[in-house]
Amino acid sequence: MALTVDEKSLKHGVLALVLTLVEVIQEALERQALRRMEGGDLTEEELERLGDALLELDEALEEIKEDHGITTSVADLHRGLDEVVDDVVDKLVNPARWAEEAGR
Amino acid sequence: MTEPRPAMKPTRDPRVTLDDLVEVLLNKGAVLHLDLIVAVADIPLIGVSLRAAIAGMETMLEYGMLRQWDESTRAWAERSAGRRELDLRAGESLVTRMPGGHLLEEGVYTGWRPGGVHLTDQRLVVLRRDPREVLFEAGVRDLRTVQLETETSVGGERRTRLRVATLDGRTALLSAADPHGLHEALTHLNPGLTALPAAPEAAPADEVEEHLWYQEPRRSGPLWRGGKGRLGPTGLMWKSPLDARPALVVPPGEILGAHIEPGRSPAGDGLVIVLETVSQGRVTLAAEQPRRWADALAATAAPDVPLAPDRPDTPAPVA
Repeated sequence: MALTVDEKSLKHGVLALVLTLVEVIQEALERQALRRMEGGDLTEEELERLGDALLELDEALEEIKEDHGITTSVADLHRGLDEVVDDVVDKLVNPARWAEEAGR
Repeated sequence: MTEPRPAMKPTRDPRVTLDDLVEVLLNKGAVLHLDLIVAVADIPLIGVSLRAAIAGMETMLEYGMLRQWDESTRAWAERSAGRRELDLRAGESLVTRMPGGHLLEEGVYTGWRPGGVHLTDQRLVVLRRDPREVLFEAGVRDLRTVQLETETSVGGERRTRLRVATLDGRTALLSAADPHGLHEALTHLNPGLTALPAAPEAAPADEVEEHLWYQEPRRSGPLWRGGKGRLGPTGLMWKSPLDARPALVVPPGEILGAHIEPGRSPAGDGLVIVLETVSQGRVTLAAEQPRRWADALAATAAPDVPLAPDRPDTPAPVA
C-alpha cells in the first residue's frame, strides 16, 4: 500500500507527516514511561512529574493538530503506517504470503 | 474411529501497529557491534569500530548500561525541580494561566514557542517550563494596547491571537487557549489599556493572495508565467518565485476595471481575466478562480476614473 500525502498543499502534508512521527515517538515514550513506573525505581515526586509532562505533551500535540486542522490527516497517515508495518510483519512471519502474492 | 481433530495452528494478532513494533524493539533492545577493516592488497587502510545499542531505559538498566547517567540526570532534576513554576513577587497573585505561546521574531527566524501564559495582577508572562525560559514578560501597567487578531494556519483553520503592544514600543503576538478570556482579564486588570476591538477579519475581497498567472508581454509574443498575485489596499502585485522584484505592480487608483473573457488560460477553464489599467493598458491574468479575482479587482477599480486610455495622465481620485 502507498502512503498518500495530500500533495495539494505541501506544507499541510509535511506537517502531518512530522506530527505522525512525533506521535509514534510519543507513544513509545508513554509505553517506556509505563515500564519505568512499574519498575519501581522512581520516587513519588518523579512519577508525578513524568505523568504531568506526558499529559502536557499529549495536550500540546492535540492542540497543534487542532490548530492546523490536520487531526484527520494525521490519523489517516498513522493508520497507513500501521498497515505498512502490519503488511511487512505479516510477510516476515508468514513466507507463504510471498507465494500467494507471486501467484496473484 | 474418531475424526482427527484439526491440528492447532499458531495464530498471530492480525493487527500489528507501528507503535507495537517500536515497543518490542525498545523492550528487547537492539545491539549493533561492528568491526570492519578496509584493506587494499591485504594492507589494512581504514578501520571502523562501531558499537551502538538502543533500548528502553528500563532494559538498559537491566543490562547495567547508562546507570550512572540515569542517576545523575535524576539527581540534577531533583535539585532544579523547585524552579519550574512562575516565581511570584511579594504581594503578587495569579489571575489566570493557560497553555499558549509566543511568536518569536528574531532576524530571519520566525516561530511559535509554546509555553504557559500566566497573568498575574502585575505581569503578563509566557513561561516555558522545560527547559525553563521566560519567553515574554511585560507589566500589566506597561501595556499600551491589546488586540485580538485572526490568522489562518497551515491547514486553513482561522485562529485568534492576541497582539499586545507595550508603552516602550515593543509588540508581541501571543497565542492562548482562551484568547478572548485573556483579553477580557487584561482589560479588566488595566482599565487604562486601549483595548482595540477585534481586528476585522480580512474579507476575501479586501486581500487576495494566491497563485495567479500573468501573461507577460515579451518581444517574442506574450508568455504565460506562474506566480503569486496579491490584491490588497496597496493595489495588485504579481511576482514570480524566480524574480527578485514583482513584474507587475498596479496601484489601486490605476485599476479601471476588470472582466472575464474567453481565452486560452493555463488554469485550463478557458477563461482569462482582463484588467484595464491606466498606464499599462490591458493586462491579461489567469487564475484557478477567475471570477473571484475579477470581482475583487473590479471592486478595487476607482469608480470615477473615465475609461480613457488615450489620456493616461487623468488624475485618479483619492479613494
